[in-house]
Amino acid sequence: MSKNIIPVGPFHPLLEEAEYFTLKVDGEKVIGIDLDIGWMHRGHEFISETKTFTQSLYLVERICGICSTSHPLACVHAIEDIDNIDIPLRARYIRTLIGELERIHSHLLWIGLAGHFIGYDTLWMWAWKYREPVLQMFEIISGNRNHYGMMRVGGVAKDVDSSSIPKLYSILDDIASKMDMIAKAANDDPVLRSRLVGVGVLSHEDAVRFCAVGPTSRASGIPADVRKDDPSDAYDLVEFNTIVMKNGDVYDKLVVRVLETLESIKIVRQCLDMLKNINGPILNDVKEISPGEGIGRYEAPRGEVFHYIRSDGTNRPVRHKVRAPSYVNIPTFEASCIGIPIADALITLAAVDPCYCCTERSIKVVDSARQPTKIDLLKISREKTEYLRRQINGN
Amino acid sequence: MGWYNKRLSKSIWVFHVSASPCNNCDIEILDLLTPKYDVERFGIKLVGSVRHADVLLVSGVANNKVAPKVKYLYDQAPKPCFVVGVGTCPASGCCFKKSYNVTGKVEETIPINLYIPGCPPKPEAMIEGVVKLVEVLNG
Amino acid sequence: MDNVDNFISLHNSKISKLIKKKKRLYFEVKNDYIREITDYLFNKIGCRLSTATAQETYNGIEVLYHFSHDESGQYFCPRVVITDKKNPEINSITLLVKGAEWIEREMYDLWGIKFIDHPRLELLLTKDNPAGIKQPLRFRRES
Repeated sequence: MSKNIIPVGPFHPLLEEAEYFTLKVDGEKVIGIDLDIGWMHRGHEFISETKTFTQSLYLVERICGICSTSHPLACVHAIEDIDNIDIPLRARYIRTLIGELERIHSHLLWIGLAGHFIGYDTLWMWAWKYREPVLQMFEIISGNRNHYGMMRVGGVAKDVDSSSIPKLYSILDDIASKMDMIAKAANDDPVLRSRLVGVGVLSHEDAVRFCAVGPTSRASGIPADVRKDDPSDAYDLVEFNTIVMKNGDVYDKLVVRVLETLESIKIVRQCLDMLKNINGPILNDVKEISPGEGIGRYEAPRGEVFHYIRSDGTNRPVRHKVRAPSYVNIPTFEASCIGIPIADALITLAAVDPCYCCTERSIKVVDSARQPTKIDLLKISREKTEYLRRQINGN
Repeated sequence: MGWYNKRLSKSIWVFHVSASPCNNCDIEILDLLTPKYDVERFGIKLVGSVRHADVLLVSGVANNKVAPKVKYLYDQAPKPCFVVGVGTCPASGCCFKKSYNVTGKVEETIPINLYIPGCPPKPEAMIEGVVKLVEVLNG
Repeated sequence: MDNVDNFISLHNSKISKLIKKKKRLYFEVKNDYIREITDYLFNKIGCRLSTATAQETYNGIEVLYHFSHDESGQYFCPRVVITDKKNPEINSITLLVKGAEWIEREMYDLWGIKFIDHPRLELLLTKDNPAGIKQPLRFRRES
């Protein structure tokens, strides 16, 4: 059996981040995959120990530009877990609002990129066009399109201005109608179906074995969702459903994300309803953090974000561990990529919505394969054409 | 090379180099191509290979591992090639400059012609930066 | 809270320094028992390995595992203290939990902890790094 190696990366036309895969292939079939990471490693855990608690919130925001609320939110949960700090009700709703808006924009971003990866650029342009209103909502609430800087220990930094709420409602209605359209289009589209159904299956057992989280595990039938299991902020006060699918292929992951976006729109609407009625403080002033350790987690768009903070009573953390969802989802490639054609490999790699900035990893070429000559290639091509012709005629 | 630069300014082809950024500038760069901003109107096009590129958009702090590859990419680009540093990271190192794995300034790895500061810069700011580059190219 | 009480009564002889908080349970185990505890938590009651983390203290290097019981939102955090700082070694749990492979490789990379019986103990983040960074999160504290 001949074995060739295809290097992908570190700089590849499709992938925005630098990462390096080595696909071991036999003919067209992928028989092995190796990952080399570290291209994005910036040493957050090292820097965080030199910052105060409030400063570290701005640092963790810059772990990843897409989940720039999930990381600070998990971080403040961890700090609040040390001392069991209470949060004002209005602040809880604002946190939920920001978190869910982020989920909408992240899922739309993924839907667009998935379209781009399978060469369906219309879907890319559509999804990203309808993502702009979400960023506009962020701009109205926090003043910035990304990196909102909203989280504080004991509450939130900025209040939602009551005069801006009607505007937010009208933008949300716009997003909701467009989202319905995308959901229907994605469901009916023959191109998406033929390209994604049955591709890159991650079975239930493998998802358990690799400890996968988020939409990746929910598409494989594991009903785990931090928002339901360990509700924080206002998640026990709003109504929403957990979306679970069974097959674990890329199409199911798409469906999970599309339906989750619709659920998020529902949550955002409930939060806005409550913000109209509830008035009060948005920040509990926290003077000091007592010695101890705390675990904070939050359901980011990609899965569970985990922060562990140990404090010794000073204003700086002694140890700050960050575990991003992609870190446990990316190793599942070993299970889902084996046995599929090369053409499907890239969309399978993209299906877990990998975020290498979070994971801080990358790839490098291992060794060079046998170099085929021009005549070899011609021969292989003719053989394959013959094989396909025989298959079509035979069946 | 005045005449050459002037021709370059008609339609700039850009290549995006992510040198360990936080992903945010990258997303905003991609945002430029989508219907709301649509810089392809001005002939600015994102290309897949560095060998087609006139301008490199560099984002991030360039850690020890990725810096040699960035240098390698710059050497492969046809000259004259202009480099734009997108975001605060290439300009100052943002909050990462004290890390053990960061080389320091990106400028020490490859020469940078233009900085667009901001964390992340708004797409409007990026367009303005590119327009300024075009003005310089036109002389 | 049945799971927690069951767990404590079953493993009473093996665990020490119990800290019980709301939905969090921290405890210390010996290196020899970590596989047994992992087997119980992962295979018997269906916990998910959230992550594991190491930290250097005055007493030695601590490895803290976080097992999440998703149905109840309960966290089990076994802690193993390695007193030999020069040559830290601990039993690997990768053969039981496949998802621990990268987590343990990262600890090997950043702290230099050797995992016994790990299938592929290689550097993860600083592999092929031209600057030659070695165990960055330990080095600083000793200087």
